[in-house]
Amino acid sequence: MNRFLTLVKTLMINSFGISAIRAKAKKSNLAYLKVLGLGTAIAAAVSPSLWLYSKIIIEGFDLLAPINQQGAILILSIVMVSTMIFFFGIFYIINFFYFAADAQNLLALPLSGWQVMGARFSVVIAYEYLTQLPFLLPPLLIYGIKSEADLTYWLYALIGFLLIPLLPLSLATLPTVIVMRFANLGRRKDLFKILGGLMVISIAIGYQFLFQKSGFNATDPVFLQNLLTDQDSLVNLISRFFPSAKYLGLALISADKIASLINLLIFAGVSLLAVALAWLVGDKLYFKGLVGSSETTARRKMLTSSDYERLGQGSPALISYFRKEMRLLIRVPSYFMNCVLTNLLIPVLLIIPFLVQSHNEEVVMPWVELISQPQGQTILMVVIVGAVIFLAGSNAITATSLSREGQEFFISKYIPLSYKRQIMAKLLSGYVFGFIGVVLLLLGAVILMPLDIALIGMILAVSLVAIVPIVQAGLLIDIFRPKLDWDNEQKAVKQNLNVLFSILFSILLGGAVLYTVLRFIHSPTLAAIFMVCCFSLAAVVLYYLLMTKGIEQYRKLEG
Amino acid sequence: MIEIIGVSKSYNRGAVKAVDNVNLTVRNGEIFGFLGPNGAGKTTLIKMITGILNADAGTIKINGKDIRENPIEAKMQFGFVPDDPNIFARLTGLEYLNFMADVYMVPPQTRLDLMQTLLKRFEMGAAAGDLIQSYSHGMKQKILVIGALLHNPSVWILDEPMTGLDPRSSFDLKEMMREHADSGKTVFFSTHVLDVAEKICDRLAIINRGRVILSGSMQEIHEHLKEHHSLENLFLELTQNE
Repeated sequence: MNRFLTLVKTLMINSFGISAIRAKAKKSNLAYLKVLGLGTAIAAAVSPSLWLYSKIIIEGFDLLAPINQQGAILILSIVMVSTMIFFFGIFYIINFFYFAADAQNLLALPLSGWQVMGARFSVVIAYEYLTQLPFLLPPLLIYGIKSEADLTYWLYALIGFLLIPLLPLSLATLPTVIVMRFANLGRRKDLFKILGGLMVISIAIGYQFLFQKSGFNATDPVFLQNLLTDQDSLVNLISRFFPSAKYLGLALISADKIASLINLLIFAGVSLLAVALAWLVGDKLYFKGLVGSSETTARRKMLTSSDYERLGQGSPALISYFRKEMRLLIRVPSYFMNCVLTNLLIPVLLIIPFLVQSHNEEVVMPWVELISQPQGQTILMVVIVGAVIFLAGSNAITATSLSREGQEFFISKYIPLSYKRQIMAKLLSGYVFGFIGVVLLLLGAVILMPLDIALIGMILAVSLVAIVPIVQAGLLIDIFRPKLDWDNEQKAVKQNLNVLFSILFSILLGGAVLYTVLRFIHSPTLAAIFMVCCFSLAAVVLYYLLMTKGIEQYRKLEG
Repeated sequence: MIEIIGVSKSYNRGAVKAVDNVNLTVRNGEIFGFLGPNGAGKTTLIKMITGILNADAGTIKINGKDIRENPIEAKMQFGFVPDDPNIFARLTGLEYLNFMADVYMVPPQTRLDLMQTLLKRFEMGAAAGDLIQSYSHGMKQKILVIGALLHNPSVWILDEPMTGLDPRSSFDLKEMMREHADSGKTVFFSTHVLDVAEKICDRLAIINRGRVILSGSMQEIHEHLKEHHSLENLFLELTQNE
């Protein structure tokens, strides 16, 4: 047991980077402040969504209280969180159980299957607590406060919070461990990661599509009531997968103390039983699945002279560097998911609501009417250019350009390719994906609305200029604060504040220019000329900065 | 030729001196071995020579080109094999070699000939089309060595090049180093393996705690060895007393 606890502790410290923060804090107390600042920044960033979520819960509570159904709010949130944990759990588990860099190393230690798997399971549970916190805390707090709950409620809520991820995660572990034992997905690790990520995104889009299609309106009492009470409703459907969630809900809302306790015990019993079962199966199968999961496919086929001829053509160094950037963006799963796919998916996500409602005259007509007026065309232009700017700011391609090199950054330092050309190649890759985003967004707009060629041409011209300063700013930010010290590719793109700064810059620049247009310019032609001038000016200034300060800083950076 | 004049590098605002006023000249036509215990400053110095790290003080010239003043020309002079072969895991060996050849502006026919020769010599012909992540440690090392030699550089800089190589490849590399030096060019390499240093170096230096504590030709070193019986004893004594 001691070994198990030691392993849990070590994995926790390693996963959450606790020692790294401590080590930095030893050098300077600023490290703690940085963590605190980061926490505050994240809290500030999610607070609008949390506020909206809380508002919906409060309204739902008030609507359901008269018919004494307000407890459904709790059951709904528990069921939703359980589903979420189940789906995300599958990918957490595969990544952390099988694909983690240190997964193989533990095989050589004198530890049994359940110890290693259980320790990893515990770390995933800790991640799940963080994931479920923003989704569960508001309903638990709101219900408790509004129903003036007693101490038992708060105690049960705490126990419930800690127990909730156990069942869905165990249910996610079982098929994963079994599949990994018999189908060696490790051989196609990268492909699998991308497919897995695509599945999660498809589910997210599917949800959005469903909600849009059903005219989801959480403030509509009839809709909410149907959602909760209808036998075929989504909630009931989902809760069938997690029947035990209802017991926790009943434990929390029941007025009868004994019934409450029994329900909690049933919930705890089922959850712990599921964990025991998952660990038992894991003890038998985990190590067998882990062996070989680090293998990769290789053909080891002798190259023919035509292979050499084809591949050894030679290109200018800048193009070769650009090609390397593109290859890595597409081949490294984390980069593909966070940089490339975001760029392709955001346009789709923005268009879906309109597409789904395209039969709905109430939604479409105002737009058709709007673009028949010059000012309306300007507004549409502003909307599309705004989306383009936001997309370019958030796709993380240039904002993580140096960061993605990580430990390999030293190569950029010793190759005889000037920093200017390296910067150009990096800008080019950002620009190519920015261009694809522009085309996708415009394509969506053209499908949805009857736009004339002149307007499309103007929007295209403005968009193509507008992405230039955004792409440049992203790179400038990353040159000044690259995140090179990471052990997991995901950290370079996902846990990189430079993306946030890049988004912030795009909002500031885009906001200032677009606000000026909306406020003072009515003619679409004038608006286009004004925007092209503004974004060109910004691009020139940023290019100058990149070529002077940027290169100077690049030179100072050490690999 | 590599000239290192008064080079220093420190960390933590001068608290830790990684390299302390090092002066070395690696002449044409010689293999120069750079020895030292772990953390002595070998890799830091090599990184400064190659432009990966910036020196706090001093000058480094490769074939007369200053790495700070004239970085691109200086970098064209050498081929570098880093100590960590884990790079570009998602490129195939051939894609990596082509990338290096493009960056060093190697003409298509030359690269084709050299690539085929070197891949054959290191028995990497069958693996070149596969992703580098499928390679063993030694194969990664080999592809790095090939990449560093594609532009036929006059100066070779190798950081622990034998690590992970099988005996055959290790022998081949040593032979190639010898041929390279004998043709009037320069080889500078760091190693932990004293036997290797003793057998193939024309001159060597021992670094400890950032300072060069012994430097000279093998003949001069052998004078010292009379007292200490072996290079190992000499190395241990020098690095212990420091």
